[in-house]
Amino acid sequence: MDPFLGQVISFARLVMESMVPFVLAAQGTMLAGRTGLFNVAQEGMMLVGASLGFLVAYQTGSQLTGILVAAGVGGGFALLLAYLTTTLKMNQFVIGIALFFSGVGISTLLPKLAIGVTLMQPLIPTLVDIPLPLVSRIPVLGPVMFSQNAMVYFSILISILLWWFLYKTKIGRDLRAVGENPMAADTMGINVTLVRYAATIAGGLLIGLAGVYLPLVYTGTFTEGMVRGRGFIAIALTFFGGWSPIPIFYGSLFFAAVEVLAYRLQVGASHIPYQFLQILPYIATILVMMFSFYKSPVPRFLGENYDREKRSQT
Amino acid sequence: MLEQTHRQARLRFNAPGVLRQTLPYAVALGIAFALAGIFIHLMGYDVLRAYQTILFTSFRSANSFVQTILKFIPVTLLALAFTVPFAAGKYNIGGEGQMIVGATGATVIGILLRDEPAILVLPLALVTGVLFGAIWGLIPAWLLLKFRIHEILTTTLFNFISYSIIDYIATEIWRDPVAGHPTTIPIGDSAWLPLVVRNPPLHSGIVLALLIAAAVWVYMTRTTGGYEMVATGANPEASKIFGIKTSRMFMLSLVIGGALAGLAGAVEVEGYQHRLIVGLQSNFLQLGLITGLIAKGNNFAVPFVAFFIAMLEVGASAMQRTMQIPVEFVFIVEALVLLCVLLSDVVRRREWIRSSVR
Repeated sequence: MDPFLGQVISFARLVMESMVPFVLAAQGTMLAGRTGLFNVAQEGMMLVGASLGFLVAYQTGSQLTGILVAAGVGGGFALLLAYLTTTLKMNQFVIGIALFFSGVGISTLLPKLAIGVTLMQPLIPTLVDIPLPLVSRIPVLGPVMFSQNAMVYFSILISILLWWFLYKTKIGRDLRAVGENPMAADTMGINVTLVRYAATIAGGLLIGLAGVYLPLVYTGTFTEGMVRGRGFIAIALTFFGGWSPIPIFYGSLFFAAVEVLAYRLQVGASHIPYQFLQILPYIATILVMMFSFYKSPVPRFLGENYDREKRSQT
Repeated sequence: MLEQTHRQARLRFNAPGVLRQTLPYAVALGIAFALAGIFIHLMGYDVLRAYQTILFTSFRSANSFVQTILKFIPVTLLALAFTVPFAAGKYNIGGEGQMIVGATGATVIGILLRDEPAILVLPLALVTGVLFGAIWGLIPAWLLLKFRIHEILTTTLFNFISYSIIDYIATEIWRDPVAGHPTTIPIGDSAWLPLVVRNPPLHSGIVLALLIAAAVWVYMTRTTGGYEMVATGANPEASKIFGIKTSRMFMLSLVIGGALAGLAGAVEVEGYQHRLIVGLQSNFLQLGLITGLIAKGNNFAVPFVAFFIAMLEVGASAMQRTMQIPVEFVFIVEALVLLCVLLSDVVRRREWIRSSVR
């Protein structure tokens, strides 16, 4: 094979692989945001998902159990967020910030409790690639798209599914109505509280999954702060994608490409100090936001709690 | 009508009023410690001994009291770096990054001008740190006003950028070859903050932190600028109608926040570390946020809560040494205290609604 083509294929493969945490976390954020609940705790939720998911997978020897537990703990955090904001009407940002640093703290505490301080990093096997029959043999597209790990497929499927759900079903339309105008939705007989809870928890499951992907695919172990801002980049991504599943998916590809590029340059171009390359994804995020935030169609009630008894809503 | 407001104002300072203010805190503390105690017990540790260690270590020796003060200084400044923008309705999660660039600024001056007299270098290093922090707060403010990018996003992204900056300076520019951990060479002693207590050594950063905390409180509660900032946070639309330049208030609040965190970094370098160490920000961002939120954004309460948090932290490291309980345990306690304090607000609001309905 042409060596240049080989390079391109391996680059594209890596981009597909690195896209997953962005896709899952951003879709999770979008889902809650579409009902008006602005989750800013992703970074902490992903860290707990990564930490607990890794520990469970390590102790039980089952990757699937680890994945499910990570999703569960993401959902648990989201339930707490929904309860404190939607039911108790606390400020969404204050609670989000509190959950964010609680997640950071819990994620470092858990491994110390479960394993203690060890000299050797405990390792779990990473996810294997599952080449799909027939389609994986298509040249170029096959190795890039169809011989990836299961969570790559899952993140593609969930993006399509969310698009179909939000724009083609009645429940999806109701859900969007809650974020655009909760009073009108309420008078139409939509249960605003229920919709917000459901969307936030479903989003939390996805964010937990996004977290556990990191130890399961990249490192095989949990390290402190391993999410490295991906949670916040995911928020940026939802604005970039206009709170809509398909553009968010493309945006994730872009951010994954920047991440892979920065990593590749760190390995390849040793004359550039690696610190300059490390900041590339963050600079790219800020630049992209400068051009997309202004126009981004944001759910009108994003970040606002809905109180039925209050007469005027902003 | 006027008579009534006067009476209310006077009421706020009498004993039952103070009690009403502090009682929820006391109840919240009690519940949080009880819950965390159950947790510690379930993990198989001696709860009583654990709490004795956490609460009293700071007062057992002069040395550990000074350790507590040394934690108190950055925690207070980082908490204020959160509460000042919070008053204006903005969320500064970038304290960590602002502290790092502040520390970097002080180090640059401390190393470059190491042979100059202290009277020049000391204030210059402090001011540079403050300035660097302020710039790190100004950029997110500019991005917010010009491009409407939410400040939670930009301030956190700038944290990650600053990790790379400190790493670059400590490994490429002024690397100390004998240190095992990425660290710069020491700053000149002309940039050292003078000590207020010689043994155990306590630097004058404590005086600075207390003065700043008082100044922030006075500014926010007793001046027009502070009043406009609080009004902006309470109701931006109404403030705008009344002629307050709200966008200027947003920007100012974030710049002040950045400056405060920058000062924390400069003080940490000039008073304590005397060099730039990768990771010097440790978990001060989290502690600052916890402090600011437990204080519910009240700048008067911040130093008191900060002392409490510093005390817990020092107690927790002693607990790790003597009882092998991971130091992060104290984090559970802190998070529970915060949760209970926040919940006490909900309870009070409900009671208020119930009584007003009646």
